[in-house]
Amino acid sequence: MSAAQIRFAALLRRELSRFLKIKRQTIGAPLLETFLYISVFGAALGSRIDELDGIDYVVFIVPGLIMMAWAINAFSNNAASILQQKFQRAIDDQLSSPASPAELLLAFSFGGFLRGMLVAVLTFTAASLLVGIPIEHPLVLAPALFLVGFFFSQLGVLVGIRAEQFDDLSFAQQFVLQPLIFLGGVFYTASLLPEPFETLTHLNPVYYMISLVRYGFLGITDTNIAVSLGLLTVATAGMFLINLRLFTTGYRLRA
Amino acid sequence: MTAALQITDLVKRYPTGTEALKGVSLEIGAGEFFGLLGPNGAGKSTLIHCATGLANPTSGTIGIFGHDAVGHYGEARALVGLAPQDINLDWFLTAAETLDYHGGYFGMAKKERRERTRELLDAFSLTAKRDESTRTLSGGMKRRLVLARALMHRPALLILDEPTAGVDVELRLELWQYVQRINEEGTTILLTTHYLEEAEQLCSRIAFIGGGEIVAEGTSQELAATYGVESLEDAYLELVGRKELARGHVSEIGA
Repeated sequence: MSAAQIRFAALLRRELSRFLKIKRQTIGAPLLETFLYISVFGAALGSRIDELDGIDYVVFIVPGLIMMAWAINAFSNNAASILQQKFQRAIDDQLSSPASPAELLLAFSFGGFLRGMLVAVLTFTAASLLVGIPIEHPLVLAPALFLVGFFFSQLGVLVGIRAEQFDDLSFAQQFVLQPLIFLGGVFYTASLLPEPFETLTHLNPVYYMISLVRYGFLGITDTNIAVSLGLLTVATAGMFLINLRLFTTGYRLRA
Repeated sequence: MTAALQITDLVKRYPTGTEALKGVSLEIGAGEFFGLLGPNGAGKSTLIHCATGLANPTSGTIGIFGHDAVGHYGEARALVGLAPQDINLDWFLTAAETLDYHGGYFGMAKKERRERTRELLDAFSLTAKRDESTRTLSGGMKRRLVLARALMHRPALLILDEPTAGVDVELRLELWQYVQRINEEGTTILLTTHYLEEAEQLCSRIAFIGGGEIVAEGTSQELAATYGVESLEDAYLELVGRKELARGHVSEIGA
């Protein structure tokens, strides 16, 4: 391995080690949360809702829950990891190393991305044991999940860099991210809503992400898949470039 | 011969408008044991942060063994080891992991990291604590680990920013024996300390920094001569404008 490969591996190992050392909080709790959603919304309430778009309600909500698990875990992992390290100034050990801004950014990004992926895979596995989850369009599902995971991973990095206290993270997650995800159609389709809520839902970018993932799993959608994928790619690339700029200039990282 | 650290006209102005460094120029030769003394807020840590990538210089140049610390930061930082003034250990790591990850950030291969970790844990009496979380170490142990971490990648230039502040006599003596030995073996050392007798005993040359400027530079005898006083301590008191605290003056008052 070259020095650069060793460096990147160490940076990434640090990120993985952090969340694996507190796995009850970082893996166990999100899994339990998703299980509770499936139980309450799927099994309990779902018995009163027959089908949505010709799909069993429990099956209908699982793709959104998988996406939500990946998104929230990717986001919260990176935001918390960066802020904690800034607080302790432990990040100085990495910032004063020969690591480039891109290496640092990618290591932080993939830390959250992989935690989100782990929770999502475990959610999928657990849900599959309860109900049959089809994968109708794997060639859409794979890039859609990758882009969603990477987008929220970048968002977590951005919030972690900007945050000065843990309250900033809570605000971003509880007051911005979760409402966007919950109102983005995890538990329903926009067409079920009365106006102006249907139109408002179409203005929520998370709606298109959920639609992409649901299409990949179940083959149903009311959005344009190609346009959604294209826009998500542009948004993810844009977020990455913004973060790369922040790491390069040292915004709120270097004095 | 290339200087270990060559600083030219270094200015650091913080966004608040505070000018912490006002055109500092300084040269430390390879193999020197150099002391940088000054009161709190004089600019010592800012200078060190600029040299190690923890602060972005406003203007001026910093060369580390001929490598531009900004333009070619990778090569420059690989040659520097920093033991910062404040303990900044990663709470999620054990003592051994702290050294191992640091070695990884600097591109050291696994076998080399393992051997060096064992060697440094032994040298700093940390072997029994190798698997303990950094959070549970005592203050003295944390300080030892910070010093061991700075040495992990065998830096050619070791920067010690007030390394003995608040440590017991035993560690202080152990540390000085260790750094004197590696200095004799060729490592350049830049030391900041408030213990003037340490600087006098250890450093071949000393610079006084005050108000963001280098105000005097030389051996301790030369500095005393510059201020027309008997000792380095008296010269320092002249620098900070507190010559009434000089021991001779105090004993005269006492008499």
